[in-house]
Amino acid sequence: MTTSTLNRRGFLQGSAAVIGLTAAGRAPAFAQGTKLHMVRWVDFIPEADVELKRQAPEASKALGAEVTFEFINANDLQPRITAAIQSGSGADIFQMLYNWPQLYANGLVDVSDVAEAVAKAQGGFYDAFPAACKVGGKWLAVPHSTGGNAVAWRKSWHAEIGITEFPKTMDAWREVGKKLKAKGKPVGQALGHSFGDPPTFAYPLLWSFGGAETDPSGKKVILNSKGTLESLKFMQAFWKDACDEGGLAWDDTNNNRAFHAGEISSTLNGASIYIVAKRQKDKIKDEKGEPLYLDIDHAAPLPAGPAGQAALYVPFQHAVMKHSRNVKLAKDLLTWLHQKENYGKWFEVNEGYSVGAAKAWEEHPMWARVDKPLQVFRRAARQTKMLGYQGPATAKATESYSKYIIVDMYAKAVQGGKAEDALKWAEAELKKIYEG
Amino acid sequence: MKKPIAGGSARVEVLAPPRTARRGGAGAWLENERLLAAMLLTPTVLLLGLFIAYPFVMGVWLALSNTSVGNVGEFVGLRNFYKAWNDSIFRTAFWNTTWYTAWATVFKLTLGMWLALLLNRSFRGKRIVRASMLLPFIVPTVLSTFAWRWMFDPTFSVLNWLLYRGGFITTKLPFLSDGAYGMWCAIAVNTWRGMPFFAITLLAGLQTINPDLHEAASLDGANGWHRFWNVTWPLLKPVTLVVVVFSIIQTFSDFQLIYVLTGGGPANSTHLIATYAYQVGVATGLLGEGAAISLFMLPVLFVVVWLQLRYLRRLEA
Amino acid sequence: MVIERRWKKWVYFYIPLTLFVIGTLFPFYWMFVTAIRPDAELYRSWRAATNTPFWTLQPTLDHFRDLLEKTTFPQWLWNTFFIACVSTVISLFCGLLAGYALARLKFPMAGMLGTSIFVTYLVPPTLLFIPLADIIRSFQLGNTPWALILTYPTFLIPFSTWLLMGYFKTIPKELEECARIDGATRFGAMIRIIFPIAVPGILSAGIFAFTLSWNEFIYALVFLSSPEKKTVPVGVVSELIRGDIYFWGQLMAGALLGSIPVALVYSFFVEYYVTGLTGSVKG
Repeated sequence: MTTSTLNRRGFLQGSAAVIGLTAAGRAPAFAQGTKLHMVRWVDFIPEADVELKRQAPEASKALGAEVTFEFINANDLQPRITAAIQSGSGADIFQMLYNWPQLYANGLVDVSDVAEAVAKAQGGFYDAFPAACKVGGKWLAVPHSTGGNAVAWRKSWHAEIGITEFPKTMDAWREVGKKLKAKGKPVGQALGHSFGDPPTFAYPLLWSFGGAETDPSGKKVILNSKGTLESLKFMQAFWKDACDEGGLAWDDTNNNRAFHAGEISSTLNGASIYIVAKRQKDKIKDEKGEPLYLDIDHAAPLPAGPAGQAALYVPFQHAVMKHSRNVKLAKDLLTWLHQKENYGKWFEVNEGYSVGAAKAWEEHPMWARVDKPLQVFRRAARQTKMLGYQGPATAKATESYSKYIIVDMYAKAVQGGKAEDALKWAEAELKKIYEG
Repeated sequence: MKKPIAGGSARVEVLAPPRTARRGGAGAWLENERLLAAMLLTPTVLLLGLFIAYPFVMGVWLALSNTSVGNVGEFVGLRNFYKAWNDSIFRTAFWNTTWYTAWATVFKLTLGMWLALLLNRSFRGKRIVRASMLLPFIVPTVLSTFAWRWMFDPTFSVLNWLLYRGGFITTKLPFLSDGAYGMWCAIAVNTWRGMPFFAITLLAGLQTINPDLHEAASLDGANGWHRFWNVTWPLLKPVTLVVVVFSIIQTFSDFQLIYVLTGGGPANSTHLIATYAYQVGVATGLLGEGAAISLFMLPVLFVVVWLQLRYLRRLEA
Repeated sequence: MVIERRWKKWVYFYIPLTLFVIGTLFPFYWMFVTAIRPDAELYRSWRAATNTPFWTLQPTLDHFRDLLEKTTFPQWLWNTFFIACVSTVISLFCGLLAGYALARLKFPMAGMLGTSIFVTYLVPPTLLFIPLADIIRSFQLGNTPWALILTYPTFLIPFSTWLLMGYFKTIPKELEECARIDGATRFGAMIRIIFPIAVPGILSAGIFAFTLSWNEFIYALVFLSSPEKKTVPVGVVSELIRGDIYFWGQLMAGALLGSIPVALVYSFFVEYYVTGLTGSVKG
């Protein structure tokens, strides 16, 4: 379709709209069949998707077009986005994670007008978001929410070995895990290729030991450092002593299921383990037959390494695709979704699993009502670093994330062999990306 | 060259087909072999040309460029191939693919042949057994591979449970959490899936063998194994070769099985060429590099197929 | 002598056959048990004493019901069936004509054309699907079943052609010659004499093509995006793995239901399939 055809069609549509408006005095009726297709991940809190599906008809009415949500497995988002951009067809809006907008920049529409309006109305975005979504000073995606994470742990099991407060350092965690693994209740950590648990553990582990991918300029790879090596050696010991060694094959779902089945004693995860256990308290019980959720607490952020505490939370945003035929409508949909009433309902259903992208949501009355273990997620988004640290969150950082280089570095180390070899491999891979 | 027809079926050994006298009129053009052939082959050539030949050429161009998602690429020559060759993950994937194809084909052939021999006999319920043996091949790969994945699950595996209860193991076997185990699991699933195809095709071949030959051989004193090796196997070689060729092509370019079973993990240790190409090209968006990785499959397949076809032609001669 | 023989029969025949049957069918049994097992039992610890992996005392149809009601699974079944049927028809049509031409007709470049048709089989889909996405977009077939109906024949035709070629070669040339002596055109002889004899081969190729279409994954994954247009393999993979939870019960129910149509087709035609292959491998 040529641009002139589009313009002509748009003109006809517009005139019809004007006529329709004057005639019926209600929201413009676009040419029949205008559809808005938005693709998001399958939320780990199923009720959040239910809420969005509920909002769809309301949005359709407000915008005069048919709004459909499609929910797919988060790990399929990137392939779908690539296919859509390459074939010039597909959904109008795609959800993006981390700093993906950097990678897909050429296929996205400038949405600065929507993003800045939301920022102004809701107290500004957290620092991670401009880093993730802005390319060349323009917002290429509208920040939507942040997926926090924390260590979910079984209070009773830890109490049995005398622990009432979760360990504050990595070494202490390892000791505690060692004792529990000896009782058949290890720590569970995923090191597979999945977007959530593996990177949100691996990157902060690296950072908390003082390691980093690049220097602040983002051009020089500084992975090969004492801090990185120590983090690798720690991980090897931690894995053997304290972790469920099947974790190499785990994706984001395995630790949830293992925790609910009483196979592991602590694991890094979002709030979904607690929330699902609470919402299905008849089905998910502990060994004594009590609802499991009563025995769960959260510790956030991750225990500290020698260089301090670090965290990586998942920023979620929405981008409008250049190939969309309804760019203005898509932007309107995003604005509508971020209106306080609509967003607020979605926010509440999440109960802290996803928190806002803008600071105003820290003060939402929901926080007064949620259970104590979920309170840690309230100010989660403030502390996260971003991919590419210490350098800026560029497309190269996204590439290194998409290739799971840091995650694989740890996976290689724990599979046997020397930490130095894993480090050398990762450094070579990073150099190929950052230094051309 | 027109030759009047001479005699009838007595001339059946003649290599060139007999030609009737050229007919005039409307039927003439349908008589012309070349024209008819062109007409008959047009749909095929069109479809394959449009949807394979053309995209193939574009794919090659992609491989020679630095295209990434959303960005138009420029010609960079053989750089992507060079990069892939130096990529340790690619080398692992290449080795995995060869290992996987080799072992799976050996197992499928052996088991398929054995099963075909068994099914060749008459017994009660033969039809049902034959039909049910085809099930693994019929069921969509992704679905059956999911069932296997559930059986190998790191936490809830039923196989671990069996072995544990049987007293063979005390800790869980890392079916999918370890690279080597993972490859063998994949080989097992591929064998389970592909063996019926071998069995049914070899069975068809077996049924063309005149049973008199077997009788003659056993009268001469040959036992089961001798009969197989000296009578059955030589006659089955052509069929076997064709089935093996198709199977190797499918297995070497396999994508679905590993994609569903392990996703290439843990830590990229069970990647095949196809799944790695997908990961690089589509998941990471580096389309040029992904295309280059895919192209590495072609030379290997070419060589394998060429060797086998030559052998096949020698057999037929 | 007789007793020894029976012993041999057991060791060499019945036991191996039983092992094959168990090995081949166990995963289906497993799929079935998982599909009717309630969720509470599915995720019990593997060391729990009450674990009964091979059967369940509380079978439930919940998973099947959820699958049929809460997802667009029935739509996927229809999509897959439609696409498979039309692709099969197209590839059979092309394969028949091409197979006959290559088996029976002499023309220049016959050998080369035959080889190149075969060679297209070697080109991996993982290379083709990105350029194909471009082509699909130019024809505006994105997200429609036609994107698949036109691309599936690319891997169905080579095999159908080979199968039918082999089958045609076994049909004695005298049949055609007699027909043409009686006044039929070459084309007429082809349609009226040869094709009917080749019906087993045609059925065989058709069943094989149907199975391969049903099974295809990567093109369907890339070219279809709306949930209601998806095929069964893609739908099951993308919609039944919801976030943190693999709905194993529903997944297995979907796997079973998704296999039934193809299995039914086979059960009707398996004898033809074997006969058809027999014919073609003779050639």
